[in-house]
Amino acid sequence: MDFNLSEDHQLLSNTLNRFLGDNYDIEKRNEAGFTAPYHLQDMWNGLAELGVIGALVSEEKGGFGGSAEDISVVFEELGRSLCVEPMLGTLLALRVLSDHGQDERVEQIISGESRAALAVYEPNMSCDLSAMEATAVEQDGVWRLNGRKSAIYGAPGSDFVVVAAKTESGTGLFFLENPVLICAAMVDGGGVADLVMENTAAECLALDAETSLTSALDLGRIALCAEAVGAMSALQDLTVDYLKQRKQFGTTLSSFQALQHRAVNMQIEIEQCRSIVISAVGQFGQPGGERNVSMAKNLIGRAGRLMSEESIQLHGGIGMTWEYPGAHFAKRLVMIDHQLGDQNDHAMRLIATGAKQLVD
Amino acid sequence: MKALVPVKRVIDYNVKVRVKADGSGVDLANVKMSMNPFDEIAVEEAIRLKEAGKVDEIVAVSIGVKQAQETLRTALAMGADRAILVVATDDVHADIEPLAVAKILKAIVDEEQPGLVLCGKQAIDNDMNATGQMLSALLGWSQATFASEVDVEGNSAKITREVDGGLQTISVKMPAIVTVDLRLNEPRYASLPNIMKAKKKPLDEKSAADYGVDVSPRLEVVKTEEPAQRAAGITVGSVDELIEKLKEAGAV
Repeated sequence: MDFNLSEDHQLLSNTLNRFLGDNYDIEKRNEAGFTAPYHLQDMWNGLAELGVIGALVSEEKGGFGGSAEDISVVFEELGRSLCVEPMLGTLLALRVLSDHGQDERVEQIISGESRAALAVYEPNMSCDLSAMEATAVEQDGVWRLNGRKSAIYGAPGSDFVVVAAKTESGTGLFFLENPVLICAAMVDGGGVADLVMENTAAECLALDAETSLTSALDLGRIALCAEAVGAMSALQDLTVDYLKQRKQFGTTLSSFQALQHRAVNMQIEIEQCRSIVISAVGQFGQPGGERNVSMAKNLIGRAGRLMSEESIQLHGGIGMTWEYPGAHFAKRLVMIDHQLGDQNDHAMRLIATGAKQLVD
Repeated sequence: MKALVPVKRVIDYNVKVRVKADGSGVDLANVKMSMNPFDEIAVEEAIRLKEAGKVDEIVAVSIGVKQAQETLRTALAMGADRAILVVATDDVHADIEPLAVAKILKAIVDEEQPGLVLCGKQAIDNDMNATGQMLSALLGWSQATFASEVDVEGNSAKITREVDGGLQTISVKMPAIVTVDLRLNEPRYASLPNIMKAKKKPLDEKSAADYGVDVSPRLEVVKTEEPAQRAAGITVGSVDELIEKLKEAGAV
């Protein structure tokens, strides 16, 4: 089996690596990630010009890629550079919009002309869509939304939000232009928002979009897992470099066998994570593919936390200071576990899908 | 006018180079390889000349292992029109020497008849800085090395060269060989739509034997070693102490 990237993916990865390496240092990233609108517009335009946003959607729907592999290549590089640009929110919104024939809006997003986010989660909801409480009702030919949405990734500064809400037919999708949002920075940087809807008028895109929504969310999870692999690799490089430089008791830390073993264990975790992401990418869209996604998200959640803790432990105090990039990688890895369902949610989903398969 | 741009596959400039344990060379196993940065600048300049209407076609050439195809795809994704890969060795550790490269390039120039050859001033792996000059001698063409500005006007080109102590502007007759320096331009990133277009651009594969050039090495690498480790610094208390220490070290 050949696990190497194809020539195109290698070129895409190189381009993104160089673009982010040249333009996105850690100081710039931290300033952008914690100051509204929690990203840099010129970087976003640059990513659009490179066709990176287009890589999230298939050619027939106006993009330049759209496969799970394309998405994992992009997000692994974003993770390596700890990029706070709102690519996850854009990916989720783009996928549901392109599934529902919104070609013009998709084109605008791909070109960087406008930006969108997807509102799915609610304060009382885990990753199970059936627990959604927000509702959409048609009154006099206008759809009215009620309820509260939370954790809308990449929403601050976006031009529109696609909202998932319960309809009589299932989980519908609604288009909200210039939404009034409650914006904040996430604990690791990057924008997130809440949305309160009280008889809010919206355009209906679909009355039952559960399949499309689940597929978009699963792709988002694959993206987060790939991002984590990139972030873990970068954190591992930082840690090993530090061990080779830092001297204690007259010798470098890297000469202590106990620390070598811990560094090797970290590398093993990364390789396991990389493999499970490849498996989730390969199985995406196949029957039972959602199980591979949940397995990956669960393992990445656990491994990300372990990597963060081990890295800080091996660095000592400096490993958790604001000035040291390692601390921000550690925070990001812990945060990735909580986005689009944490390790427990995905263990439960795995059990539920496994049980369903047995019954079927 | 056609422009020919030779590009070399070298160890990526971000990679920390490791010397092989036996000192026979640099360890290239599982190491990221990229286009030589100076060659990237040459490709960018050719594209800019094409955008300015002074060049009609850009042909990228790479001589080395089969994997150099990736380097050529990068050139095509940046904007070159077609590519020629000359497979001269199977061994990734083998470096084709400048004279053999220049001879193969001469044969390609004879075939392609470009009006301009734009190449990097040197490759960052062996730092030879020789291929452009050798090609110029073999062809009997004008040469302008270390270019930091290129202005092609009809049958001549005005080239600003980076020389010790300043800049020198020369005028060369076309056809010419121009070797480019770091400050000539900022190479563009290959965008995803262009990466996809590059797949459809022609890439011809040849061998060194097709051009009748013997690529066997004439130089022997005796030893390769890491540079000496930088000694630890010291903190001095005053300017006087600093001067004293510098005097002790024989620096002033």
